[in-house]
Amino acid sequence: MSFQILLNLFLAFLWMFLSSNYSVSRFIIGYLLGLVVIIALRKFFKSRLYIDRVWAVIKLSVLFIKELILANVSVLTLVVKPKLELQPAFFKYDTKLTEEWEITLLSSLITLTPGTVVVHVSDDSKSLFIHVIDSNDIEETIDSIKNSFEKAILEVSRT
Amino acid sequence: MKTNDVIIQFTAKIVFFMIFFYAVHIFFAGHYTPGGGFVGGLVTASAIVLLIVAFDLKTVQTILPINYIYMVACGLILALGTAAFSMFTGKPFFTHFFDYFNLPILGKTSLHTAALFDLGVYLVVVGVTMTIIQTIGEDE
Repeated sequence: MSFQILLNLFLAFLWMFLSSNYSVSRFIIGYLLGLVVIIALRKFFKSRLYIDRVWAVIKLSVLFIKELILANVSVLTLVVKPKLELQPAFFKYDTKLTEEWEITLLSSLITLTPGTVVVHVSDDSKSLFIHVIDSNDIEETIDSIKNSFEKAILEVSRT
Repeated sequence: MKTNDVIIQFTAKIVFFMIFFYAVHIFFAGHYTPGGGFVGGLVTASAIVLLIVAFDLKTVQTILPINYIYMVACGLILALGTAAFSMFTGKPFFTHFFDYFNLPILGKTSLHTAALFDLGVYLVVVGVTMTIIQTIGEDE
């Protein structure tokens, strides 16, 4: 992945120096040409194309914004209800993620979507302890985390 | 009982660079816009304090092996030297010089000796702040 980005930058610089015209537009043209060459020769690389991962990051951001809006609306409905029917609870969520940055990202995403707060990471970093505002649908919460955020993060980190 | 601080440690590692870059930006912005050596030094010190909070004193000492007392001395020497330099050319103490230079990559840049004096202030502020925090923190 990082090798592909470096190769692409190198090709862009090469294009710039070939035409002895050192401007930003020339660099961008060289970068795009290098991207075309790298996509054409993708069978040579052991890992995935880096543009795939960039796309996965964009998809994760869009998913996060969508979830943030939906969850905020649901919390708003909880707040303005005349009768407060909350069942707060803690539960343990076993995660498949291993890297430090993945766990940090997942915890931040869970915390930023209202209704759930990560309060603790277990000592072996295998499970998160989450406080949920309404425990009537814990299974649903676990499923939604698994199928949305964790899947998207795994999609980004897959080599 | 040692807790798992994976989230704050990872976040501190990333945010440290952002705060440090912001401090450098504020340091160089000080000539025409708000900012300068004092604020830049304090922001840098706060970035190092964030690392100390996330890890601990000994780890940060091994990562950044800086003797802050020497840093204060370097800053004072730099500030005094910048102020005293004009006396050798027959001008009064603290006369600053500036001129426009054509640097190879940056093009036409205005270089001012006040920036060197500000760098001295920056080093003194970082050194003093970190010395205070370290000496208080090491007391058992």
